[in-house]
Amino acid sequence: MNKPNSATVPATSGRDIKTIVNASLPRRHAAERRFRWYGLIAISLGLAFVVLMFANIIGKGYSAFWQTYVQVPISFDAAVLDPQGNRDAKAIEGADYGALVRAGLRAVFPNVQGRGELRTLYALVSSDAPQELRRTVMANPALIGATQEVWLLASATVDTFVKGNIDRTLDETERPIKDNQVAWIDKLAAAGKVEQRFNTLLFGSGDSREPEQAGIRGALMGSFYTLLVTFLLSFPIGVATAVYLEEFAPKNRWTDLIEVNINNLAAVPSIVFGLLGLAVFINFFGLPRSAPLVGGLVLSLMTLPVIIIAGRAALTSVPPSIREAALGMGASKLQMVGHHVLPLALPGMLTGSIIGMARALGESAPLLMIGMVAFIVDVPRGFMDPATVLPVQIYLWADLPERAFVERTSAAIMVLLGFMILMNGLAIVLRKRFERRW
Amino acid sequence: MPISQDAHTVKQFDVQLANLRNMVLEMGGLAEDQLKRAITALDEEDLTATRETIARDRIINGLQLKADEDCISLIALRQPLGSDLRMIMSLANTVTDLERIGDGAKKIARMTLHIYDGVSSPPSAKLLRDVRPMAELAADMLHDCLDALARLDVEKALTIIQRDGELDQEFQSALRRLITYMMEDSRTIGHAINVVFIIKALERIGDHCKNIAEHTVYLVEGRNIQQRRNIDPNVGATLAQDVAED
Amino acid sequence: MNTSTIAIETKAALDGALNAAAGVRKESSVEVTDYSNRQTVGRITVDNPKMVCRGVNVYYGEKHALKNVGLDIGANEVIAFIGPSGCGKSTFLRCLNRMNDTIATCRVTGQIKLDADDIYDKSIDVVQLRARVGMVFQKPNPFPKSIYENVAYGPRIHGMVNNKAELDELVYASLERAGLLKEVEKRLDEPGTSLSGGQQQRLCIARAIAVNPEVILMDEPCSALDPIATAKIEELIDELRENYTIVIVTHSMQQAARVSQRTAYFHLGDLIEVGDTDQIFTNPRHKLTEDYITGRFG
Repeated sequence: MNKPNSATVPATSGRDIKTIVNASLPRRHAAERRFRWYGLIAISLGLAFVVLMFANIIGKGYSAFWQTYVQVPISFDAAVLDPQGNRDAKAIEGADYGALVRAGLRAVFPNVQGRGELRTLYALVSSDAPQELRRTVMANPALIGATQEVWLLASATVDTFVKGNIDRTLDETERPIKDNQVAWIDKLAAAGKVEQRFNTLLFGSGDSREPEQAGIRGALMGSFYTLLVTFLLSFPIGVATAVYLEEFAPKNRWTDLIEVNINNLAAVPSIVFGLLGLAVFINFFGLPRSAPLVGGLVLSLMTLPVIIIAGRAALTSVPPSIREAALGMGASKLQMVGHHVLPLALPGMLTGSIIGMARALGESAPLLMIGMVAFIVDVPRGFMDPATVLPVQIYLWADLPERAFVERTSAAIMVLLGFMILMNGLAIVLRKRFERRW
Repeated sequence: MPISQDAHTVKQFDVQLANLRNMVLEMGGLAEDQLKRAITALDEEDLTATRETIARDRIINGLQLKADEDCISLIALRQPLGSDLRMIMSLANTVTDLERIGDGAKKIARMTLHIYDGVSSPPSAKLLRDVRPMAELAADMLHDCLDALARLDVEKALTIIQRDGELDQEFQSALRRLITYMMEDSRTIGHAINVVFIIKALERIGDHCKNIAEHTVYLVEGRNIQQRRNIDPNVGATLAQDVAED
Repeated sequence: MNTSTIAIETKAALDGALNAAAGVRKESSVEVTDYSNRQTVGRITVDNPKMVCRGVNVYYGEKHALKNVGLDIGANEVIAFIGPSGCGKSTFLRCLNRMNDTIATCRVTGQIKLDADDIYDKSIDVVQLRARVGMVFQKPNPFPKSIYENVAYGPRIHGMVNNKAELDELVYASLERAGLLKEVEKRLDEPGTSLSGGQQQRLCIARAIAVNPEVILMDEPCSALDPIATAKIEELIDELRENYTIVIVTHSMQQAARVSQRTAYFHLGDLIEVGDTDQIFTNPRHKLTEDYITGRFG
């Protein structure tokens, strides 16, 4: 029964298939090896840049997490603080704490004479030092009359010098720190009166002109309020839109048009949304400038298309057999979506939303347009307070020349990246946790 | 629905079906040949040819075995439906009938050996007078029913079924005649009984031919035309009762 | 004279026979020229119909997917729809509980009655219809919830039970009727998707019968299952026939033969032939049916 049929392989001039294939094998294997190398090179290149970037940022920024303090004996002189002797809180608060600081410094270096030299001595500590003393005394009025060694915040220049970022071999005119300051610091250091502590101010205070007092708390809170508004607006609206478009809307020219527009909106440059926000929310609706509410509204506009697209993708990935099963049981369309489709699609939707939110967290351009770029010292306490956000803060600090601001810029970038990684990690965890097999 | 002449999607199925059909027709040809040989040998008192005929019956039996196996494997492996199923079932039944026809030829040959055993005197010609026309009628019927099967000719198959009646009548009258002879002369009884066996075998062959014709009609038209006379209308019920009583 | 010469003779006879047979066929075969609006061969009516379909046409956009189909579905019978892919059997099945409604381009004309109600009438809500006409799909599709929740879903959404005890009873009874209770009794809290394919399909059947429908539609329910699971489903179908009317679409003719009492053959949107299952599979009247069941198609 071994009859030839039409499926027989045509004769190949005497060479059998084994020879033919073998002849081409080295070429094919070589091509495959080459391709693998290209891929490997591309990935290593990418990784190298990432490592470079992180090394640069961390190298510059890690020192910002430490801050220099100097120990100065302060005598809480009752004559200065409470001349009336009646412990009046108002009087105590209004007292000249600067004098205490100055007296303390003079006590350490009694040989310093002359206005100029004294001023350089006083410049060792931050201009915030008197405020700090005031806070201490207000918290503990019993200190009045006592003398105590107090750790005072060093000025940014001293801080930078102590961290070794100023070359002491340079000529006095070429560095921001004077020779006699160097000598005083050395002396203090020798006495164990210079110390680096964890920089709580970086996370605890708002922006400042003085680098040693500048923190990212204001920007962090601004980002928090802005993103809260963004999430509260864009997630429900985005999910609802995605569900409606995917499950309920009739498929016709209008819905097609809407779909195309949503896709295009996702690709619109973010600054355009800023312009829109400026025109509509601030100029037309008269909302306050620099407010997280407006920022959130603008970022919502920007995030919505991303969430809608991710949401629709998550919905379409729910197998139609589940829908059919629900409909076949006599479930109404809303029951089908509510009971079966949405629970299955929600992890995907959440993931898409978090990625969209992470993008919004890193966004600065549209916020520049609505005035969130202002210098704001106070930490915002609500949606209407003027605020700035983390990326804008970074942008602002990056402009400043002081060495102490450079390290703070890098530190802020590290914090921002940390939040990005955290949010993306959350997205992955959510996906892994709630992803169901069907 | 007559059977379709279009090829099956699975070509091998066509080949197997054609093989089975060829085998059955070959078997039919053999059975026909056996019948003719047995009758000719009887006519010519040729005991050698008679013995040969008896021996050749095994070929038919062998073919039956082979055809049955093929039918079973076709049913098991191809799960035939519709006309294919009818074809296989008809052929399987036909095979049984052909084997019985072969047995009939063998029985005639056996009787020939009995009649011309060289001990008793040969029978008178009048005793064998009815064998020849009945044998011819049976041979014709066999030839025609095989032809009808080969050509799937329902008309022809239906005429065969009618002709079986003729053969039955011939058998009845031949039997009556033989009884007369036996009553006239008791010495003829020995031979007459052998002749009765021969004509009975021919009558049975006619019945089997009719069966084959009925299978042909079933194969082509899917209707069962077996006469109801031998079928108990309550067969299912009584069977069930029997089982219950056991 | 020997066997070989006989063989040659019979071969010649066979060749002649083939030609002759072709002639016979032409005379008695059903004339087939026009494929549209064809008369269905066989009796489409039954004595006690559960569903009555007359002049059903289905269009997918421009495509005429089902052409003027008329068919009765008898009460407590299993009727099988067979036919090649794209013949309209699934389309017709989905007309019976209006699952075609979910396809935007689909249009159905004609009349389908469930008892006395025209199911395409405006007064009939699909939710009500689908509770009365349940469906089991090709791929087992339990909800990604627990086994218990799967069965409890239908009664819950239709508000068939008043309290947990009643629901428990209904779930247990449905699982029992689907022949699944013994296998899953100990693990009702496990997800339905953790069961084997055959068990999943029986879970889907349990889910369908939990709302006590009148008709159950099955769209190739065993095509994803192994023979043993298939046999269990077929046995189940046979048992369910006592209480339900079952319509089954299948690609396996053997399955149609095993489970159904009547069989309908569809071809290119036409209902070609309908009749008792044993008649269809032993002696189909239409050439297209014959060609399909004997494997001569295309």
